[in-house]
Amino acid sequence: MTPTVPELLLGNFLCLMEPPPPESSGDFLQARIGVTGMIALLCAQEAERGIAARVWENGAIRALLVDASGGYGERFAEAATGVDDDLSLAALDASNAALRRALIDLHIAVETARDAALDTAIRALYVKMADARRLDLPPLPAS
Amino acid sequence: MTLQDQLEAYLTRIWETPARVTTISRIPGGASRETYRFDVEAGGRTRGLILRRDPVGSLIDTERKLEFAAFRSFFGVGLPVPEAVALEEDGAELERPFFIMGRIDGGKAQSPFSVAPYGEHARAIGEQFYGHLGAIAAADPLTLPIAEATPAPPLDGCWKAALDYWEGVIDADEEHPQPIVRACIRRLRANPPPPAQKLSVVHGDYRTGNFMHDGAGKVIALLDWEMAHIGDPLEDLGWAMEPLWCYGETDRVSGMLPKADAIAIWEKASGLTVDPAAFAWWELFASVKGQAIWISSAKEYRAGGLKDPVLGLSGWYTARRQDVILADRLAALEALS
Repeated sequence: MTPTVPELLLGNFLCLMEPPPPESSGDFLQARIGVTGMIALLCAQEAERGIAARVWENGAIRALLVDASGGYGERFAEAATGVDDDLSLAALDASNAALRRALIDLHIAVETARDAALDTAIRALYVKMADARRLDLPPLPAS
Repeated sequence: MTLQDQLEAYLTRIWETPARVTTISRIPGGASRETYRFDVEAGGRTRGLILRRDPVGSLIDTERKLEFAAFRSFFGVGLPVPEAVALEEDGAELERPFFIMGRIDGGKAQSPFSVAPYGEHARAIGEQFYGHLGAIAAADPLTLPIAEATPAPPLDGCWKAALDYWEGVIDADEEHPQPIVRACIRRLRANPPPPAQKLSVVHGDYRTGNFMHDGAGKVIALLDWEMAHIGDPLEDLGWAMEPLWCYGETDRVSGMLPKADAIAIWEKASGLTVDPAAFAWWELFASVKGQAIWISSAKEYRAGGLKDPVLGLSGWYTARRQDVILADRLAALEALS
């Protein structure tokens, strides 16, 4: 998923280090600072949960690909090979990208075969994937 | 030369009388365009105006000519829409394309991330919000200035034109594989909706946060027409009710009123009916369109040197929320048969 935590925190720094032109101070600058604060808050969540979410997602996709390879071809089992030894966000995202591409290919094959059971299982996995990566922004009061 | 100097030079030239900009300040939001409020004195008169200028990078790649034509289409016909004042597609003195419109003072726009954004006025605002949308849907787009700026698809081609466009945005801007939105797109293509009941002007971004209200229950300005086009009126209705725009609420749409009430208000104002099956398609489409915008904003964030935090937040946090909505919608669909 893009952008990454290092990019976001670098971006926070970059957008605040340049003095704004006179017409961009006031409300605009205040709002911009508020957004950088939200990003920092959410980056803290990503630092707390991001690695676990990626390790889980990669494992879940690998398991699904292996299970499906019997009916849909060995290429899906081959796509599932590999172990997440490097637990940096960048390394996990790189292996996740390859696994997601294989998952997309598998889902297309499942839909073409009208395989309702596996289609339902993949859609249920999507719900878990999205939930695992969820970020929680505290509700803002109405102005 | 400051922006104030540039504006004064431009307005002095086109109005053929000395123009003096007395105040100018940038307005938060409007990530697709830089937006400024300013006052100008010319010919013994002071006017409050809004400048919308193309940024170097933007959340949505849009045509300012289209937005300008949309304002021209609905100003002075009973809807709270600002007057279109001037359009310069080559940038003129301001160096980047821009347009100027009238300013409606005395209102505020709410963040879609606010809880219960309209408080005790939610119902009154909801009635106007969906009533105005119905009035937009009722208009004949081929008689309006917007018809000069955008093509009119066939009734049975509205869905495909919209889906092709936003899938194209994802194809062009996706930087990490997105299996959830891709699966939704395949479902939409495999199960197209019936033809549109009529062609309408589609605002394109009609939602919480893109209109102003006076704080006492009155909607006073419909804004942000940059994604306006001609298409199926259900497209706007689906986008307005997208769960992303009502933070943490499940019993009201847009943070305003129950879904059934909103649909009834829209139907009365538009003279159209909402077919549930067709609308289900446009609701899923709305979530796909949202994800396309967030994917695009992530790419723009990087391309712009990481300096616009709104693009960063949209391409990251909002994209994650959109994925939750998409996955839930997809899981709720009927099984393959």
